[in-house]
Amino acid sequence: MTPNTIRSREIRTGWLLTLPALLVLSLVYAYPILRAFVLSLFTQNLSTNLTPEFTGLDNYVRMALDGRFWNSIWNTTLFTGVSLVAELILGIGIALVLNQTFRGRGTIRTIAILPWALPTALIALAWRWIFNDQFGVWNDILRHGLHLIQAPVNWLGEPTAAMLAVMAADVWKTTSFVAILLLAGLQSISQDLYEAHAIDGASPWQSFRQITLPLLMPQIVIAMLFRFAQAFGIFDLIQVMTGGGPGGATEMVSLYIYATVMRYLDFGYGAALVVMTFLTLIVVVAIVGYYLAKVRNTTGAESS
Amino acid sequence: MKLQMRLNRWFRIGRYASRLRQHGKWGAIAWVTCLIISVIGLSTLAQEPRTPISLLVRAVEAEQLALLETAFETENPDIDIRLVEGPNASDSVENLYTTSFLLGDSPYDLVYADVVWIPKFAAAGWLRNLSDYVDPAELGAFLAADIQAGTYQEGFYRMPFRSDMGMLYYREDILNQLGLDPPNTFQELIDASKRAQAETDIKWGFTWQGAQYEGLICDYLEVLAGSGGFWVNPDTKEVGLDRPEAVEALQFLKSTIDQGITPPGVTNYLEEDSLRPFENGDTLFLRNWPYVWAEANKAGSVVQGKIQLKPMVHAEGKSPAATLGGWGFGIAKTTPHPEAAWRVVDYFTSAAAQKEFVLAYAYVPSRRNLFTDPDILAKYPHYEQLLAVAEETVPRPPVGQYAQISDILQRYLSAAITDQMTPLSALKAAAGETRRLLGDRPSSPSPHQSQV
Repeated sequence: MTPNTIRSREIRTGWLLTLPALLVLSLVYAYPILRAFVLSLFTQNLSTNLTPEFTGLDNYVRMALDGRFWNSIWNTTLFTGVSLVAELILGIGIALVLNQTFRGRGTIRTIAILPWALPTALIALAWRWIFNDQFGVWNDILRHGLHLIQAPVNWLGEPTAAMLAVMAADVWKTTSFVAILLLAGLQSISQDLYEAHAIDGASPWQSFRQITLPLLMPQIVIAMLFRFAQAFGIFDLIQVMTGGGPGGATEMVSLYIYATVMRYLDFGYGAALVVMTFLTLIVVVAIVGYYLAKVRNTTGAESS
Repeated sequence: MKLQMRLNRWFRIGRYASRLRQHGKWGAIAWVTCLIISVIGLSTLAQEPRTPISLLVRAVEAEQLALLETAFETENPDIDIRLVEGPNASDSVENLYTTSFLLGDSPYDLVYADVVWIPKFAAAGWLRNLSDYVDPAELGAFLAADIQAGTYQEGFYRMPFRSDMGMLYYREDILNQLGLDPPNTFQELIDASKRAQAETDIKWGFTWQGAQYEGLICDYLEVLAGSGGFWVNPDTKEVGLDRPEAVEALQFLKSTIDQGITPPGVTNYLEEDSLRPFENGDTLFLRNWPYVWAEANKAGSVVQGKIQLKPMVHAEGKSPAATLGGWGFGIAKTTPHPEAAWRVVDYFTSAAAQKEFVLAYAYVPSRRNLFTDPDILAKYPHYEQLLAVAEETVPRPPVGQYAQISDILQRYLSAAITDQMTPLSALKAAAGETRRLLGDRPSSPSPHQSQV
């Protein structure tokens, strides 16, 4: 037997073994995505009696001119950007604290993961009451506890404040997820590096900048990628807290897609919205993936 | 073998086992099989086949409707009503019905529907036209708006079961203390609120539902109709949102916030949020639904026995209006048993069944004469005032794209009461978008443009 035939047999076995997985993936992922692409080229809504009519790129033209769509894209981007940065900063802080040795660390670590483990819709309901202008705890703390404001702030009923409020709720809920991921990263960094660096005369801040951050970068990028995908598709928190209001100020893409498909029965246009959001996500994930590979290579080279 | 013997001894079946062995194992199996088949056969023969009629209802109401289910099935043994319990949020139930129809063969024979679903379901062709079944003379006994709301383009798709309507609740004790009559007009409500806030320990004049959701539409529709205006004329598709009456109505809602009689947070209030300050005795007036009566009058409530209800305030020289809500029955297009389904609908919406249901669960009937029924009045004396409200009900416009026109208006109303736009420019934009959607005036400078 020549090595060539053994090689080709191995390749054939390899394909046979991956076939079931490929089949499942194509059924579960590829088919729905392709179906959405096809549907986005049709008009299928109440004006066509729910029968699909081929209209080419009409849905995409409509989307380009749809102020509500662009408004929701802007809201989603703003929401995602701000909450990601806040979660990252707070998450690193919490991870650094949890990485120290102190009494009751195990308990604190468990408590730190709790917000993330609670069901979002219920938490959103609680935040609705926390931010209530008349009965809310938050206004009470600001007015009578800290004496920062005179009159109660209308947190959920005013566009800018409402956006800040939903961001705050999301940061509270998902920072712990980021913190736990980063904690795992911190634990993989060897203490020897810090000791050697300290002997060389480095300050703690220098150690953080020159050791912790670069070696933590892969975990940071992964945490941000997860959080990006989740935050961009945020639905339940907003739906319960503001329903997209006031005046559409907190309407996210997912809320708009839901309304278009389930409430307006505008399937063609809804599919176009889904495709657009999907492509946006793909582009961002590709960029991050490329960056992640680069970071891996550089840190890998440094530590070896 | 040893094990089997031990088991036999245990169960003391050794004797039977040996006899079985004589007849052979197969003989025993055949004998048992015969027995089972004959038992099943006898039981099916004894029972006539029952027609199943299934419908999806919110879980809380499934328990309550079981009362009528039992009564119906005793009289009609040939029909088996199957109440399928759904989620308690009506949006989720709507989604489940929608999905079931989209898949083609719906498992539901009846649709227990909120009044606002009807135009969409009818436009999508999911409901049967009930005109073929219903006696037109019979419909006169129902609230006119309830019948109008079930009508879509000449067809009739929903028999009203229990109604719902918006109204004004007020603190009778405070108004008496101030020597005031209950307000009829916008201005009277504002004046009374200001006096109460200045002269009593009432904190707020008036709370309502101002979040960007369907409730805001209901509140606005009441003052809109009470100003003599209209939203969409379902026959001509004419849009009345940029008329002076519509602007006046929105200005009234906004002025309650601007003049400090309504808490600024009302712009994110749902029913519960607006009820809370009223229940606590902090608010003089509340716009809400019938359930508030029992809620605010329950034992231990601060305002127990101190509240009254009346139709919503309106513009000077106009008449009041109440937004119609409520539930009714439609028959699914896909049902194989339309006749049996109609018998169920006919029974559930009959005067006797509605009366039983209202007496048991304090819902509001859809038949006019039940409001003055002596038994119902004996239990719920306030239904007499409720009839005054019910007579003023207006339905939301029955157009196929209702969900869309509602969302357009919600966004612009919300933008106006949160000072992002002036009432006039908000309503002009809403009217423009609504017209484009309904295909009234397709030529327009910037399609689908939204300022919000």
